[in-house]
Amino acid sequence: MAVDPTAPSPGVPVALEPEAPLGVGEIQGEGGVGPYKLALRRLRRNKTALAFGAMFLVIVIMCLCAPLYAEHIAHTTPSANHITDKITVRGEERDVVSPEGVPTGPTWTGKFFFGADTNGRDVAVRLLYGGRNSLEIGFVATAITVILATIVALISGYYRGFVDGALSRFMDLIWAFPVVILGVALGTALALGGLDFGLFTVNGNSLLVPALIIGVVYVPYMSKPLRGQVLGLREKEFVEASRAQGAGNLRIMFREILPNVASSIIVFIPLMIANAILLEAALSYLGAGVQPPNPSWGTMIGDGIRLIPSAMHLTLIPGGMLVLAVLGINVFGDGVRDALDPRAEVRIEH
Amino acid sequence: MRKLTQVLVLGVAAGIAALGLAACGGGGDNGGGGSEGGTATVLMGTAPDYLDPQEEYTTQGAEATWISYTPLVTYKHENAPGGNTVIPGLATALPQISQDGKTYTETLRKNLVFSDGTPIKASDVACTFERMIKVNWGGKSFFTDNVEGATDFDEGKSDHISGVTADDNTGQITIKLVKPYGAFTNVLAFPEMGVVPCGTPEHTLTTDLPPSSGPYMLTDIVPNKSFSVVKNPKWASNNVPDIPLGHLDKIDVKIESNTQTEAQQVLNNQADNFDAGDTVPPSLVQQVRSQASDRFAAVTIPSTFYFFMNTTIPPFNNELARQAVNVAIDRPALQRLASGFLTPECFFLPEGVTGHPDSPCPYGAADGNGDLDKAKQMVQQSGTAGQSITVWGEQRAPRTQYVEYYADLLNKLGYKATPKLISDTTYFPTIGNAKTMPQTGFADWIQDFPNPVDFYLLLTTSSIQPVNNENFGNVSDPTIDSTVKKLEPTPTADLDSVADQWTTLDEYTAKKAYVVVYGSEAVPKFFSDRIDFDSAQVHPTYLNDWSTWQLK
Repeated sequence: MAVDPTAPSPGVPVALEPEAPLGVGEIQGEGGVGPYKLALRRLRRNKTALAFGAMFLVIVIMCLCAPLYAEHIAHTTPSANHITDKITVRGEERDVVSPEGVPTGPTWTGKFFFGADTNGRDVAVRLLYGGRNSLEIGFVATAITVILATIVALISGYYRGFVDGALSRFMDLIWAFPVVILGVALGTALALGGLDFGLFTVNGNSLLVPALIIGVVYVPYMSKPLRGQVLGLREKEFVEASRAQGAGNLRIMFREILPNVASSIIVFIPLMIANAILLEAALSYLGAGVQPPNPSWGTMIGDGIRLIPSAMHLTLIPGGMLVLAVLGINVFGDGVRDALDPRAEVRIEH
Repeated sequence: MRKLTQVLVLGVAAGIAALGLAACGGGGDNGGGGSEGGTATVLMGTAPDYLDPQEEYTTQGAEATWISYTPLVTYKHENAPGGNTVIPGLATALPQISQDGKTYTETLRKNLVFSDGTPIKASDVACTFERMIKVNWGGKSFFTDNVEGATDFDEGKSDHISGVTADDNTGQITIKLVKPYGAFTNVLAFPEMGVVPCGTPEHTLTTDLPPSSGPYMLTDIVPNKSFSVVKNPKWASNNVPDIPLGHLDKIDVKIESNTQTEAQQVLNNQADNFDAGDTVPPSLVQQVRSQASDRFAAVTIPSTFYFFMNTTIPPFNNELARQAVNVAIDRPALQRLASGFLTPECFFLPEGVTGHPDSPCPYGAADGNGDLDKAKQMVQQSGTAGQSITVWGEQRAPRTQYVEYYADLLNKLGYKATPKLISDTTYFPTIGNAKTMPQTGFADWIQDFPNPVDFYLLLTTSSIQPVNNENFGNVSDPTIDSTVKKLEPTPTADLDSVADQWTTLDEYTAKKAYVVVYGSEAVPKFFSDRIDFDSAQVHPTYLNDWSTWQLK
């Protein structure tokens, strides 16, 4: 992977070289095996990618089990305060939060396994619930990005001309803003008033708000390279053949061109999930993402930052979890990319 | 040889006498145990909103301006309770108040000069009032609501305030009020009434400030970064008693937004003061208390921290529901969230303000952990259980944590509470807008001046406004309204005569559970080893009094 050092701003989309359309022989692959089956074979051979993918999966499963852990092991909820409570750890009685406001560190027992935060809440419980929220936002935001970016790329690249110009300039407009600043601006505004779509409204502290924001701000980062591919594909013979057979624009776009950019979209998905999780953490850290009382890894880091010298666990634990999750999905994503298109020259483009 | 000895003895004696005189420093001084002169460095976490004497409205701004610009009357440069006492400033005495309580007469001291040597005249005082209105000081309504013609002047209908007359020959200033307002002497003591010369531009000044009329002058201002406070060379000649001449030659103030760094530098003696308006990071509180026990103290200031409850909408239009919250509140928990910088209280008037009750709290001891079971029963009885509540709060530690605790408490009581946290810069305008109609949330009040009226303006019907409302709970109680109306005209100097009536009112307010008071804020008095800790005063309203500081 070659990294472009002149990259102007953060963000991660991957620009793939336009693929050659899948020909009859290629569709069947080597020895009659389809391209996706072939990619799966290649992926299976990439043990590192699989190991990191498995690590990510374990994190997802752990987070899904948060309610079980909270109810049966920690016996609390993610937002229950225990500020003036006391706990007994190995025969020693401790304040959950000291009179000076410093929370207890990890107890390595069922209750307060990873310690407490300033409000006397169980960090382990919040970590798992926070993971659920971070991952949920990551997945929903990626779905939004993928759907919108694909539609924009198909329309823009297929129709060209005025439609392409208008859509591309609109994407440029979004691209012109640094992702975090745009996210903070939208997040702050929407956290107060929520979103009103007429038929339904989204409350300001709903997880859908950061998911929508992240999903939308990343659209240009994915639609731009896809549009380039569509521009190339629309000139290919199989598209002309389809048109000659009387196929309409929509059919050509979704039945002929879309399958040919599908592998690029699949490559994007894990990388977009990783970026969405990171951006969610950044926005939540800045108070513009997940709103209390919902925890997220970003809000947990933000809450703990002022206590670093005396309660380092408050930042280290969610920070470590964030690193592991993003690393897991990123390395797995690289493996998927290698498997789907081992010849692609991939560069990080911002 | 004998002659030489006599000369030496006389010389040593003269030297000791000279040193002694220098140490005394002149009239009106506090005369602490430290030395004279020198420079100190203050680190401030938040920059003053303004250094313009007529425009600042934060403690950081007031710390700088109230020792640089002196009003007609001011406060004793002492800790509480002495610091709550109004004393003459540039005026010869406290104002003479007419029988009907509507005319205040003051006389300027003779031969006063600004720091540039220009004489201070009575007309400068009138110009100062007008400038305060023109630059749109945030608290100008204290003046415009009460002084005849001030509103017309504010609205551009007149060139001068008709209710203010100044005679430069006699030095007399007369102020006519539209109605008797007992706290008007306190209004005259605001640092924003600190006198500046006529002709000072009537717009915000940032770096080039008018000449000083106090013991110090503000110089070398780099907005939001630093400024210096140096001694006014002309102040001593003004002979104003009870206002210190100042000990330090210079105080360098630097803005250090990272309070962790700020506290660490003072702890390591790399800077001399951690600004009292800042919060010591919880991670360092223990270390500061143990390593700097002889140069650190938490000083409680007259302030009320509370959760307001909207009395006009469910569920808190139900008195039993409000009482339940008061029963359940765990004030020591909130004290821990404040890292100990909160003194648990249950009455609206804080300790140190006339009328603060000494009686027991009506719904459980102030330092008790609350009775959750009893409160749950009360919520059930009130029929409000299960209702949704939005709890408003600021995105600023520890206020965010207060609100998260409070929302959790309401959930434990049987409500469906969700915190709504917004930026601290937009918080009060948002909840003070009638369209927001907040159900409940965080609120605080730090005294503008030591008078119960200053607190009760938050709970009267007349203070309910469509925008910038400060009666967040829309409390409208005829008993509160009539009592405040009756007691409001009592002059500041006579407050003690009506203290019992204020106490009765405050006990009534606590019983009606209009708000959930949980404490008074404490501020850090935190210095380096270089400063004489005992001589440094923390004023109950303007916090650090730099004019009292001395090097050891």
